Amino acid sequence: MTVSAEMPTLAPALSADGVPTDAAAAREAERQVVEACQRGEREAFDRLVVRYQRNIYRLCFRYVNNHEDANDLTQEVFLRAWRAIGRFKGRSAFSTWLYRIGVNACLNFRAARKPLAQELPETLADSRMGAAQRVEKAQRARQVREAVARLPEKQRATLILKMYHELTHQEVAQILGSTVGTVKANLFHALGNLRKLVAAEEGVKP
Amino acid sequence: MSAHLSDRTMVDVLEGGGSPAQWAHVASCAACRSRLEEAQAGRELASKAEVPEPPGLYWEALRRNVSRRVAEEPPRRSRWSWLVPLVAGSAAVLVIALSLGGPGPSEVDALLPAWSALPPVEDDDDLAVVWGLDDADLTEWDEGRGLSAFVAGLSDDESEALVAALRVERPEGEP
Repeated sequence: MTVSAEMPTLAPALSADGVPTDAAAAREAERQVVEACQRGEREAFDRLVVRYQRNIYRLCFRYVNNHEDANDLTQEVFLRAWRAIGRFKGRSAFSTWLYRIGVNACLNFRAARKPLAQELPETLADSRMGAAQRVEKAQRARQVREAVARLPEKQRATLILKMYHELTHQEVAQILGSTVGTVKANLFHALGNLRKLVAAEEGVKP
Repeated sequence: MSAHLSDRTMVDVLEGGGSPAQWAHVASCAACRSRLEEAQAGRELASKAEVPEPPGLYWEALRRNVSRRVAEEPPRRSRWSWLVPLVAGSAAVLVIALSLGGPGPSEVDALLPAWSALPPVEDDDDLAVVWGLDDADLTEWDEGRGLSAFVAGLSDDESEALVAALRVERPEGEP
């Protein structure tokens, strides 16, 4: 298998020094890579995996709250995308299409009610913090993630996509097959409910 | 503005949008201010729910695993690929049928009399023209052998000419 010689590399959204790249050129480059995938070029798909694996992993993690399942789900999302990429028409951004596959995979996973696997140790905390602070921060993060996981389905999906993936209301609406107005209403309810859930967990009157 | 702000408008205000009138309403309405503060607190909480970062080598391992699983997938078929075996199969059946022999269309025509292509007598409306002829009209043809014997005795060319003549002479509009 060979990748077309003229296929461009995928430009990152930001250059190495943080300057935004030409969005139109980036979209065109991605379109060509997607077309290569549609011709069956697996190496082209590899580029899409490299570009989106972090976003998809984090999306999955927020649904399942553990590394092992998030890892399995991420692979499943990309496998589904590979199988279906021939049917991708380019009517939305590839990332929007991929997020939609991701959300569906996560919802299916939750519906199957798999038992929770062991959570990955928190390694994100700032190393400059003391041990007690790191533990406290990690516990807080876990508490909030668990509260997010208890939100009603649409509110949870909206909150995750809007808050943690920096998508526009329009993009979230496309992914969820909804309207901008509904996305905003769901986000508002999600934020209020999150506050109530965490307060209830702490035994504090919200 | 006296009515409380909708949830959708609240999100606009929360994100720094909203009109001056909406901001003025929030400032003067305790209920809406409380809702906005609740949402702000929720957003602050949500921002603390970081996802633990996997070890640095994880991403490369994930990429390799996806790549391996994609390679194990059967080759993707195009939307119309199912047509290929169908067309090939049909062509093969046709070739076999032709090679097994049996008269072709031209041979069939040559073997059968011309009137074999005509409908049965009871279904052939054109024969009404013949039934309508007087006996006198038939004298010239019949010569004591009967109409059917006469028709049966025609050659292919003669029978075709008779049918053509009858069709031409049939009055327009008659069944």
